[in-house]
Amino acid sequence: MNLTRPAILLLLLPALLLVGLVFLLPIAGVLSLSVHGEAGFTLEPLRELFGSKVALLVLERTFTLALSVTAICLALGYPAALFMSGLSSRARAWVTYLILLPFWISILIRTYTWIVILGREGIVNRGLAAVGAEPLQILYTDVAVRIGMVQILLPIVILACLASMLDIDRDLVKAARVLGASRWAAFRKVFLPLSLSGVATGGIICFILCLGFYVTPALLGGRRSTIIANLIDIQVHRTLNWGFAAVLASALLVSTLACLGIFRLLTRRRAGFAAAGFGK
Amino acid sequence: MANLTRRSFNIGAASASLAALSAGQAAADDVTIVVNGSGGSLAEAIKRLFEDPFTTATGVKVQATAPVSLPKLKAMVESGNVEWDLTELNGDDVALAAEAGWLEEIDYSIVDPENKLPEIAKLPTALCRASYSTVLAYRTDRFGGTAPKTWADFWDVNAFPGPRSLQNSPKANLEFALIADGVPLDKLYPLDIDRAFAKLDEIKDHVPVWWENGAQHVQLLVDGEVNMTSCWNGRITPLKNEAKPVDISWDGGALMLSYLGIPKGAKHPKEAMLFMKFRIDPAASAEFVKLVPYPGFVPGMMELLEPEFVATLPTAPENAAVQFRFGADWWAANLAPVQDRWNEWLLV
Repeated sequence: MNLTRPAILLLLLPALLLVGLVFLLPIAGVLSLSVHGEAGFTLEPLRELFGSKVALLVLERTFTLALSVTAICLALGYPAALFMSGLSSRARAWVTYLILLPFWISILIRTYTWIVILGREGIVNRGLAAVGAEPLQILYTDVAVRIGMVQILLPIVILACLASMLDIDRDLVKAARVLGASRWAAFRKVFLPLSLSGVATGGIICFILCLGFYVTPALLGGRRSTIIANLIDIQVHRTLNWGFAAVLASALLVSTLACLGIFRLLTRRRAGFAAAGFGK
Repeated sequence: MANLTRRSFNIGAASASLAALSAGQAAADDVTIVVNGSGGSLAEAIKRLFEDPFTTATGVKVQATAPVSLPKLKAMVESGNVEWDLTELNGDDVALAAEAGWLEEIDYSIVDPENKLPEIAKLPTALCRASYSTVLAYRTDRFGGTAPKTWADFWDVNAFPGPRSLQNSPKANLEFALIADGVPLDKLYPLDIDRAFAKLDEIKDHVPVWWENGAQHVQLLVDGEVNMTSCWNGRITPLKNEAKPVDISWDGGALMLSYLGIPKGAKHPKEAMLFMKFRIDPAASAEFVKLVPYPGFVPGMMELLEPEFVATLPTAPENAAVQFRFGADWWAANLAPVQDRWNEWLLV
């Protein structure tokens, strides 16, 4: 179907209005709040950011957490997607349903469930007590936060990997085998490189979602598990330092965009990236 | 011409009387005041004991909202879009809000016409509605017959082993640390911040979780996640009634006050003050305090209660004697730097 330019614009208008009014405008407000003091333009909040040990430490922990959760999700998600790509389409549909099942339950409830499982008198520790072991402090640690986040983000990574794997022409793998490559060599030299676009897409989506997590660290984490969203919450609700909260939010936005930029640069030369992954 | 004049006069008179009618109605029937509180089961008791009788008596309707939030008050007053006519506030929040100019002056000739309220309950911009305590709560089944009684016991991880919890806030925790370190109750303020943090260092690694709200510390204790925690006294009474193995010690508790205040620019300040008067009605307050043991200074209320019950309240003389008055003014003046230090202390 060929649409004229005005028709396209008209069709895009509702979405553009929505994004502009309820997303871009408030973001511009937050960005300006971060450089606006009582006497007009000021860089004081920025100085506060770079002078604040807490903010820098929390930013560092946020990125470490996001990286580690992304790595775990890819390590678990890639083999799962590989397994699914080998199934018949009927079986694959069923497995996809199973993977999407957790999306029907709210993140809050799934997170609270981990409290029941990982708590001091939870299922895991009761099992340990039954074999005579001391209870483990899992809940309220970074380990619990990672478990909770991986459980929420894993389906997204699996589906992103799967989408790119299904796009791979399996005849290429067969050709490699016919030409004498071992199973492992065929996977490593043909299948793996072709599936990397999905890995990249899944990884970057997972990473960016991690940066904005709030509920899971707040409920499952201990005092060291504070990440940037929790720190913003403290500034908004407890110290009422909204200027600093805005700077933190801006710092998160800028560093997320920077990650996206680096990702674009790295994947630019990969032909067909845009077409693979979620595109097709 | 005369006809026309008469007609226009008639129209004018009719619209004038219509305007007078609607103005009269607005003053009596159509006013709804928005009262912001803590919500939950408390809100139901407040509706039954205070709001419904108030509406019956004055014709002014009450809409309850929740939760209590100083940032929301700030946002409302600063944007000029004030939804609340009355809101609950903690002691140090009142001090902050009053200094920032977010609260209206209260006319005590409306709230307390017979001048019965003690001076302690009457701030220029806030009325003390309730008093509660942050005290030490513990599991009675975890320490083999003994029980922690003081903050020094709370700090003693050898005599009373196991995880404990404290609120994720410097407020009152600094005081508890100083009490555990041997500072007498009447010598707490101004707080020795360095000494308090040094004492808190000792307990830091025995506190896996720092609670954020009243529901959470109850859950931590009941689930067995911790063996003891700081807590609000009113949250433990219902657990004891359910025969849960928990108890509290008043020793070294922080006696705190909670207030009602009118946001600057509220639409119905006069009706809000009338409602304040209802909130300190002795008979209704006596019923209320049986449900929520946060008495405040309502004149004539204690006389309506059983002495055995009064003894379980935070303001009962023998309980009040072992507690300290939480220094809301000190906290309002020092919160920002101490909160920053607290955030940093927790993270590293």
